[in-house]
Amino acid sequence: MLNYKFLSALSFGLCVVSLLMAQNADISPARKQAIDSLALEKVRDLSKYISIIGNKKTPFSEATRVMDRAEELFAPDSEMGVSSLNRKEINYYKVRKYFERLMALNYDKVTISWYDIHYISDLERQPDGRYVGVVTIYQRFEGTSDDGLKYKDTTKKDITIYVEKKKTQIQGRTIEFWDVMLGDIRVSETSA
Amino acid sequence: MLALLVVLMAVGGGCKSKKKAAEAEAAAEKARMEQEASALRKQQEEDRKKREAEEEAAKRAAAEANKKGPQAKLEEYFNNISNSSNEASANSSINEALSLFASSDTPVLIVIHESGGQKDYDKPTTIRNYLYYLKDQKKQADKIGNLQFDNSGKITEVELVKQN
Repeated sequence: MLNYKFLSALSFGLCVVSLLMAQNADISPARKQAIDSLALEKVRDLSKYISIIGNKKTPFSEATRVMDRAEELFAPDSEMGVSSLNRKEINYYKVRKYFERLMALNYDKVTISWYDIHYISDLERQPDGRYVGVVTIYQRFEGTSDDGLKYKDTTKKDITIYVEKKKTQIQGRTIEFWDVMLGDIRVSETSA
Repeated sequence: MLALLVVLMAVGGGCKSKKKAAEAEAAAEKARMEQEASALRKQQEEDRKKREAEEEAAKRAAAEANKKGPQAKLEEYFNNISNSSNEASANSSINEALSLFASSDTPVLIVIHESGGQKDYDKPTTIRNYLYYLKDQKKQADKIGNLQFDNSGKITEVELVKQN
């Protein structure tokens, strides 16, 4: 009986290990690292776009152009969480709506910076072939009005990352590429 | 009378030898001229070959410069756009850079990893979007790996290599 249980547990363990190995079998560590870095770079790119959109000195036409570029980083229908120290609930908006609200914030000066960007859940291959992971960032927000009113907070946000291998035709050649898309951005902590 | 005959013969003999000498001189002159003409032809042939070789070398150099020139120019534009301190200057560099390309939709492929001849790419973009990306992100451009040109010397495809 004991041997049977041991063998069952061993078989189960071997199955799990083989499954995990099979899932990443086609990706060498160097290749995986390149994909990880690419995904982190997309998050940093978004950080820069958000600071441009939020900056009151950015002309409307430029902000609109940058919104288009920022939106391209996301999977369709992705949402962005917005929190405030003045309320308990977290509001979620489609990313385009979030960018538009960000641009229209009622401050005279807005600075937004992201820092400590890192994976909290490594990119793992899913049964559908996509790789999914989660990156955490800290966002420092400061909004100042000319009359001296100031709001600032720090928000910890979790960004779901999707990576998928796709093909496209470039000048008659088939090119395979890694499509990195950002998913929902969820607020996990808000502090002063 | 005899003396006169001797004198005439002597004069006649002298004329003959002068004629022979003249003929010899003419022959020598002709040979010299032919030699000179031959040398001239040889020189002209050598000059022609040299000129053709120089023209060929100049053509090769021009073709090389034509290939290398746009790459150096493009690298310069990349730097100018990334390091631009104002929007007008960045936009001006973008417009100038676009003149190197067959189209603003010229594809840009970015290699993120290469192993055993197999390349992994980021999502392909266009040169217009890539130049604006540099302007927005203010980051150093990826290294130029390869450029393809059309017959008029315009760039039709860019391959960049991400530096880790």
